[in-house]
Amino acid sequence: MSKYLLLLHSDPSGWTNLSPDEMQKALEKFMAWMHKPFTVGGQRLGPDNGRVMRSVGGNVRATDGPYSESKEVLGGFYIIEAANYEEAVARTLDHPTLEYGGTVEVRQIWEP
Amino acid sequence: MRAPSATAAAPLLEHLFRRQAGRMVAHFARLLGPAHLNLAEDAVQEAMLRALETWPYGGVPENAVAWLFRTAHNVAIDAIRRNKLLGEKTEGMVAELSRSATALPEDPDTEEQLRDDELRMIILCCHPALTRDASVALSLKTVGGFSVREIARAFLAEESAIAQRLVRAKRQVRDGPLTFEMPRGSELQDRLASVLDVLYFMFNEGYAAHEGEALIRQDLCMEALRLGCLVASSSISTPRVDALVALMALQAARLPARVDNAGDLVQLEFQDRSLWDRDLIGLGFHYFDRSMVGDDVSEFHVQAAIAATHARATDPQSVDWPVILRLYDQLLAINRSPVVALNRAVAVAKVHGPGQALAEIESLDSNQKLGDYHLLLAVRGHLLQEVGRPGEAAACFRSALECPCSEPERRFLRRKLGEI
Repeated sequence: MSKYLLLLHSDPSGWTNLSPDEMQKALEKFMAWMHKPFTVGGQRLGPDNGRVMRSVGGNVRATDGPYSESKEVLGGFYIIEAANYEEAVARTLDHPTLEYGGTVEVRQIWEP
Repeated sequence: MRAPSATAAAPLLEHLFRRQAGRMVAHFARLLGPAHLNLAEDAVQEAMLRALETWPYGGVPENAVAWLFRTAHNVAIDAIRRNKLLGEKTEGMVAELSRSATALPEDPDTEEQLRDDELRMIILCCHPALTRDASVALSLKTVGGFSVREIARAFLAEESAIAQRLVRAKRQVRDGPLTFEMPRGSELQDRLASVLDVLYFMFNEGYAAHEGEALIRQDLCMEALRLGCLVASSSISTPRVDALVALMALQAARLPARVDNAGDLVQLEFQDRSLWDRDLIGLGFHYFDRSMVGDDVSEFHVQAAIAATHARATDPQSVDWPVILRLYDQLLAINRSPVVALNRAVAVAKVHGPGQALAEIESLDSNQKLGDYHLLLAVRGHLLQEVGRPGEAAACFRSALECPCSEPERRFLRRKLGEI
């Protein structure tokens, strides 16, 4: 079994049209997914783009996070177990964030 | 990294968000003043949004309601500081909100305050300055926790029309200005009457036999019932409130049996009574007993008594029709509406036979208002069929089909026509 990192990119403004009842239903779907047996854990990230650090001419600079055209932000991540990419993708197919217009980036956590 | 904890797997109470949204909006409307209803709604919406962004990773916090409550307070504090809506009152309001944010919603005192806020919010929504449609929409949006889209779906209306209605209603609340003060004396009695009128209208809109969207319409019935219970358990309640709650509970109990698997209407006498909701029937009888205190015999009392008589019968054969007929006589004396007279005719048919019912219906027929009423034609057709006049019965059903009526009703009429 390998571990896979799921990076969840979503556009929070997509939620604003939901009614309280619909928000609860969405939440319940997320919770149900979080409790699947192959989910190892997850964590939310701050609601901003963070900082990007790089060395420019020997000086390390921190700038505001990557600015993309889209309104999507990296909202959080999960770690799941799967035998290979195929299974990791299959296990993520029904992730509710996809239903609500988000994007999931799947990366294998490398364990040689 | 947080692993999914076991406690987080506990399911949220059904409609928890909707319910809490209503409570919190009422709470903030009191603190901020009804003129700032939008701010109240935005703070609540934002708190729920934050839950949606946070809980899927860390799990539902141990006290989800307190979390929402506290978060909404923080959002409201940030908002009034940022947009300076309250001018020099800003810091005073911030202090009050900070105090209120530390109260736990489960604390009995807070709980009582929240119930009182909801009650005052309903009373406010039913202010005579607002039309009934506006009152219903505003009640659903604020204390009900329904969205514009949900209200539109329940009323088969355009979303933009409902949104417009709410904008106008809120403007009237702001410019009135309508306050959170509890009216007194005769004004309170008048307001209570309009609250009952609005709740009964809300219930009937949900109960009416329309096509599709059955769930949201059922929610409408249950919300009217919930608000009715809220008023009934308050200090301003009267036996008339109890009677309306009894009526709504006893009718709502039949909802699961009213439509069959194919989505077709099932008449009361053919309903599978085992599907009736026992809890709601129990609730209905509880309030029915309470409504008997005092001398008031309102329309709600009599209608509740009719519903109770149906609920008492264990099967269609044991329905006490003579009692129901007497109750309709009483109802007709209070409200001489042709619709009541039509319902009474159904009871007449059960007690004295279809011939006599038919004779009584003839007089209704000439009534202008009911001339093209599909239910009158449907009842007439049914009675004609019973007395062995199939040709005329078929003609009635055909005319009924030409009247404006919902798709399930249309299917019902076609089925009746097919049986001839």
